[in-house]
Amino acid sequence: MNEGLVVLVRSIIAFFSLLIFTRIIGKEQISQLTFFDYVLGITIGSIAASLTTDLSSSAWPHWVGLITWAALGYLMEIVTLKWRYAAKVLEGEPVIVIMNGKIMENALKKAKYRISDILELMRNQGVFDPNEVDFAIIESNGQLSILKKAEHLPVTPKDMNIPVKNSGISTELIYDGILIEENLRQLNKDKNWLINELKAHGINDISEVFLVTLNPEGSIYIDKYDDRITKITDIGDYKGPF
Amino acid sequence: MRRFLVIAIPLATIILFLAVMLSGNYLKQPLGNNDDIPGLIDALIRDIQNEQWEIVGQKADELNKAWEKVVSRVQFSAERNEINNFNITLARLQGAILEKDRLSAIIELKEAYEHWSQLCR
Repeated sequence: MNEGLVVLVRSIIAFFSLLIFTRIIGKEQISQLTFFDYVLGITIGSIAASLTTDLSSSAWPHWVGLITWAALGYLMEIVTLKWRYAAKVLEGEPVIVIMNGKIMENALKKAKYRISDILELMRNQGVFDPNEVDFAIIESNGQLSILKKAEHLPVTPKDMNIPVKNSGISTELIYDGILIEENLRQLNKDKNWLINELKAHGINDISEVFLVTLNPEGSIYIDKYDDRITKITDIGDYKGPF
Repeated sequence: MRRFLVIAIPLATIILFLAVMLSGNYLKQPLGNNDDIPGLIDALIRDIQNEQWEIVGQKADELNKAWEKVVSRVQFSAERNEINNFNITLARLQGAILEKDRLSAIIELKEAYEHWSQLCR
């Protein structure tokens, strides 16, 4: 028995099984995970690790464990999508911890948060004075949402009656020196238009460009490979090499 | 086409993985020449009972070689403990044959058969 070879093959099985299962389970970002999702991820990862290196048992029972946990995770997701009450039971509910500027001590106790945790989460959001907060809610993923008191909210163009245009989302036209014609067509532009735009910026060839984006308002962003910056700011503390 | 590939590639990958993990029970069976482990064990038991120790020595070597062939085939789906146990049983069998100890040799062969039947199950 060539143990190295067996571990290599099992690693490939575990790696791609995990990749496929996690893609099926969902697209949630780490920041959106509930505590249960987090534990689920750790458990599935741990089973995959055993599948890879625990040669004392065959790969199959580990793989069955892996697919069972992944299937149950998927099932829970479907249940929480279809049944709102189940979602509240399984994932928990948002808890109001500051209401009208007053700290809700009982709600804090129920959510098992200390006030120092809340103050820390507030600081993470740039709020250093509890006086500024009208409402604070602990979301089911453990993050704090804050509604500031009206007098502490930032002024918007609407408050000032300033007319503004929607900028929309920028689309990549050239990515790493390669023209993306599909995006160009979506914005009703053609290659000649882009070449003219590049020429206007002193660029003769597409391959000179690292990134070009265009937003629906017509604002174009161009970045060349040759940045012509002579003095580069280094924010590192040590000289390196790293 | 892309949509088909997005579904077909992961599906084919999973099927391949299942084949690798579950093929052991099939691959441990005799597939060619000189890899019939249960057949060799039965023959060895017969020869030991008849106390034909010279033939027994040859057949034990054949069993060793057959086991090596089978291990290389089933290693990706088998558990290491069963493989190790079979190896130990083979070593003990060699000792019993060396001492022409009929009782111990048959005990080891029966145990070896049990390890073989538990392999990849």
